[in-house]
Amino acid sequence: MTERGASTSAPRVGGFERVTGAQMFTADIAHDDLLHVALVHLDCGRAKIESIDVSAAGEVDGVVRVFTGADFPNPMPRFGPRFKDRPVIATTETKYHGDPVAAVVAVSRASATKGAAEVKVTYSELPGVYSIDQALAPASPLVVDADIRPPDDPLAATNIRQTWEWGWGDVDSTKADLVLEETYEFPMVTHFSIEPHVFVAAPEAGGVAVWSSIQHPYILQKTLADLLGLPIAKVRIHAPDPGGGFGGKGYPKYEPLVAMVALELGRPVRLVLTLEETFQAVRRTNARLHFRTGFSDEGRLLFIDAMNDFLMGAYADIAPRVISKSSYFAAGPYKVGAVRAKVRGLMSHTTPSTAFRGFGAPQIAWAIESQIDAAARALGIDAVDIRLRNLAARGEEIVPGDKPADGDWAQSVRIAAEKVGWTQTLPPGHGRGIAVGLKASATAGSSYCILRILPDGSVALVAGTSDMGQGARTILTQLVSENLGVPAEQVTLVMGDTAVVPFDYSTSASRSTVFMGSAVVDACGKAIDDLVSRAAQAHGVESGEVVFTPGEVAVAGDTHTIPEIVARIFGSVPGEIIAVGTSRGEGDAGHALGGPAAFYEFSCTASEVAVDPETGDYELVKHVTVADVGKAINRQHVEMQDEGAAVMGLGHTLMEQLLLDEQGRIRNLGALDYRIPTFKDVPKSMISVLVENGDGPGPGGAKGSGEGGLLATSPAIAAAVTQATGAVITDLPLSPERVWQAIQISKHNEERHDSEDS
Amino acid sequence: MTVLDYRRPSSLSEATELLQDTDAVALAGGTDLMVAIRHRTVGPAVVVDLKSVDDIGDDIAVEEDRLVIGGRVVMSRLVSHDVVTEQFPALASAASVVGSVQIRNRATLAGNLCNASPAADTAPALLAHSATLTLASGDSGRTVPLSDFFLGPGATILNQGEVVTSVAVPIPTGPIGSGFARVTRRRGVDLASVSLVCVVEPSGRARFGFGAVGPTPLVAESTVEDLATDDGLDHLLSGTTPISDLRAGADYRSAMLRVHTRRALVAAMAQLRARS
Amino acid sequence: MSGESTIGLTVNGTRRSVTVPSSMTLLEMVRSRLGMTGSKECCSEGECGACTMIVDGEPVNSCLILAGEADGAVITTIEGIGNGGMTRLQASFLEAGAVQCGFCIPGMVVAASALLERIPDPTMTDVQEGLSGNLCRCGGYSRICAAVISSVTRGDTDD
Repeated sequence: MTERGASTSAPRVGGFERVTGAQMFTADIAHDDLLHVALVHLDCGRAKIESIDVSAAGEVDGVVRVFTGADFPNPMPRFGPRFKDRPVIATTETKYHGDPVAAVVAVSRASATKGAAEVKVTYSELPGVYSIDQALAPASPLVVDADIRPPDDPLAATNIRQTWEWGWGDVDSTKADLVLEETYEFPMVTHFSIEPHVFVAAPEAGGVAVWSSIQHPYILQKTLADLLGLPIAKVRIHAPDPGGGFGGKGYPKYEPLVAMVALELGRPVRLVLTLEETFQAVRRTNARLHFRTGFSDEGRLLFIDAMNDFLMGAYADIAPRVISKSSYFAAGPYKVGAVRAKVRGLMSHTTPSTAFRGFGAPQIAWAIESQIDAAARALGIDAVDIRLRNLAARGEEIVPGDKPADGDWAQSVRIAAEKVGWTQTLPPGHGRGIAVGLKASATAGSSYCILRILPDGSVALVAGTSDMGQGARTILTQLVSENLGVPAEQVTLVMGDTAVVPFDYSTSASRSTVFMGSAVVDACGKAIDDLVSRAAQAHGVESGEVVFTPGEVAVAGDTHTIPEIVARIFGSVPGEIIAVGTSRGEGDAGHALGGPAAFYEFSCTASEVAVDPETGDYELVKHVTVADVGKAINRQHVEMQDEGAAVMGLGHTLMEQLLLDEQGRIRNLGALDYRIPTFKDVPKSMISVLVENGDGPGPGGAKGSGEGGLLATSPAIAAAVTQATGAVITDLPLSPERVWQAIQISKHNEERHDSEDS
Repeated sequence: MTVLDYRRPSSLSEATELLQDTDAVALAGGTDLMVAIRHRTVGPAVVVDLKSVDDIGDDIAVEEDRLVIGGRVVMSRLVSHDVVTEQFPALASAASVVGSVQIRNRATLAGNLCNASPAADTAPALLAHSATLTLASGDSGRTVPLSDFFLGPGATILNQGEVVTSVAVPIPTGPIGSGFARVTRRRGVDLASVSLVCVVEPSGRARFGFGAVGPTPLVAESTVEDLATDDGLDHLLSGTTPISDLRAGADYRSAMLRVHTRRALVAAMAQLRARS
Repeated sequence: MSGESTIGLTVNGTRRSVTVPSSMTLLEMVRSRLGMTGSKECCSEGECGACTMIVDGEPVNSCLILAGEADGAVITTIEGIGNGGMTRLQASFLEAGAVQCGFCIPGMVVAASALLERIPDPTMTDVQEGLSGNLCRCGGYSRICAAVISSVTRGDTDD
């Protein structure tokens, strides 16, 4: 069973709609005159498109038109958050398994799908780059078209798109008693939101209206405005609450295609991805992390020398940011005197990787935490102790010159150790592991909101955060309710329409409680100031004689409710109190990452497993996550996010991996063979603890949360398996088969060792 | 989806006639067929729904010395049936891990066999219990041992227009013990990488059914005495050909075959002792 | 007429009649022809449970059922659970914090309702087994289980 804190939390806004099926997700919205799109993609990885014959497809009953690359402007428009490298649709070449070559538009989804099956594409498979090794091999074909790579790019003749080197101190001259070296692999995994991506577009008012399951409507809005040559004001994005996002719905994917088709046809057009197409559309950036670390005899981590290769995919998307940011913190939450992290962002003929909960930090944690555990074993130091010896204390720097540690991280580790029963005797066949993870939040960005106190004192809050399950609606409603003293039932939250809702940078990086939350508090403050000064005016007194406490306005000693004051202020001509709330992080242009993080998200995971050594199968006996959240504005929401993150971490730790064949095709495409955790995979005992020290920059001292629970899952469970079996595993997932193989190797090495001894 | 026509015959002769069309496929639970249609591994012009064909049994009944399971019986009914859970616990276990509750409410036992996946979950249990099938078309029928039914992955001896009307297993005359083992990638719903059932009689005879370790489900026999030796185990497993595929590697499958065969045998013997 | 099926069925207590292409699934029919979008489409191959409906008393994956198969059937969808209000089970989901993005929730509620019909006082294992055909990527499993269990032990009368 799961242990959790007391549930005094406000009920979920939008909860009733979700449990009754009334919630309108993007694919549920009806549109008059709607046409449906089905994509055509090839059963191969990289291929040269020789010809596309759409005549048979055009004959299929219900098909209206078939679009191929030839129907789009030449040169093909491209977009992307870091490089404008992604074409609206493929032209001469497919760059990954699933790269669409045609879009069939029909009166029904069934006829569009039928039409898609009739599109005849002649193509020839080309040698492709499908792995890190292939990407690094000198003679490998280049993934990026030469004409979009800057001519002065020194790496233009390689599949290395970008490199970074982070570090401080002098690694080479740092002496250590123990030096370890190991290579860790983190596989390709995919987001698998239960709601597949949906894209709808329709011509509207001299521009275009788009409905998308997008997490960042404003980034999409700007991208489309740029691509379509429209003013931002003429691009309207409707963003219904996504059915899960996890980063996979952050950046534009097929909205440009659908928008251009809709504008061409003059009608609304909708594309709903199949689940298989979502696997082909989004994934986490996989990595090979080579870590060489030096320790003192007492377990002090003296240097880290890392070489990290991340395979970004066919288009860069936001992966460069994932890679640079996470490797910048290669030392995690530790104080390390010398660090050198060399990082390469590699292109490949695979699904473009994108943001995914954790944003590179799980990959880094897999490496550094595994090294720390290896050191602990080699030096005979307890895994908890070695971490406590190296963790930065609050106020201590982790990256020199950068934001220091902003939490009592050691406290989280101690709590996790205690909850998992670290010092209790282990039954035979059991093992325990503990690990930590660090994720830096947003470094810059802005959030705006509009607060309206309506004539009867009820409130409308207009705020652009995307609620994809983390409970943004509830949190923001609570902030209004608590600051103004208006009951939650009298607060309405307007989200998801760029025509109406002001700018919010994104819903990512666990930033919204801090950034949008601060904007909301700011708006409340301004609304209160306005209310107070108008109330003073209306009563003919000085502002100083008006005192606001949540829910009450006292004028020269007489108390009134907010509705009474509003009525008095405006009299017979109705009015509203309208306030704009702002929260801006300007960042720092001189900072390598664009600015210090607004806060750090720190998490500790501790795990106990019971291994069946004959089969490699293991049971998750106990799983503890501790999240340092500053303040939980809605305790239940934060806990469920932390637990949910833990379960998601179990996915990439135990069972998830996209498998490619030699021609770059994803072999396990779909729910049948890509396994994510189910009810029966949940640990026997799962505990989530929130640490609230009020030390965050958000309302009430809140930090963001929701990513922590999956940062350190893998190293914690791997360490537990190692303790139980003696086998060390450096690749994920830790499937029963992989554990069994590691046990066989370990046994064989032992036997060889024994026989050598004798 | 390319299905054009849906038909729901009410008699076997009507169904057989419809199924003579090579573009027609039989539909029972649909949990395999609908997936295949979606993935375009089949593209029928006619789907013949057998669920209203009265000649295909809809019951689980004891007939003399056999338990007879009608061709239209779904997995969830097997899982909860007294005689099945009492006399054929390995079959109940196998049926209970076919997919989820939602799947088991539609998937038929007969359909699971006709789909002829090498990993068909119920096949090892039925093979170990020496099941027979009654196949019928139009007016004619025949009974075949399940061990003769499978020809290869997705292939059976069914003729065009022929359907499985019932599955029968002889009810043990004395106490027996059975063991069931299944290797999957996760604890949740999953296809088997290896599955096996062992049925042990007081005489020491041990009959095994194996799944996912050959092109079809396999059956093999040995004795408790022989299986105490490595040679005996090797001999029992000599007909299996575990391969490497998406779900598991060949080495692992081979190793798990050995481990789970031993464990299933131990469990079967313990159950036999308890029931004697 | 070839290629089409005329279906008469009862959905959430109301008799409906509709003619659809024979290739249409029950899920597609309910969503697009009957205008009830509560049941969701995700994997379309019976692995995720987002499309769960109760057909003739049993929870099933409606994406694996052809429209024609539902002729004469009695169906309950998420819209029919609670009939405008909330059952004790649905309220429990909210109280237990079992709802995050909400996309899996209609399938979960329908599957859980069916489970409680079959096993009115389920153990944790019964719940995990009974819902094992429903995936939640937000990872709300323990709270969903807690919601189902606590909906039984709450003790107050049903609506």
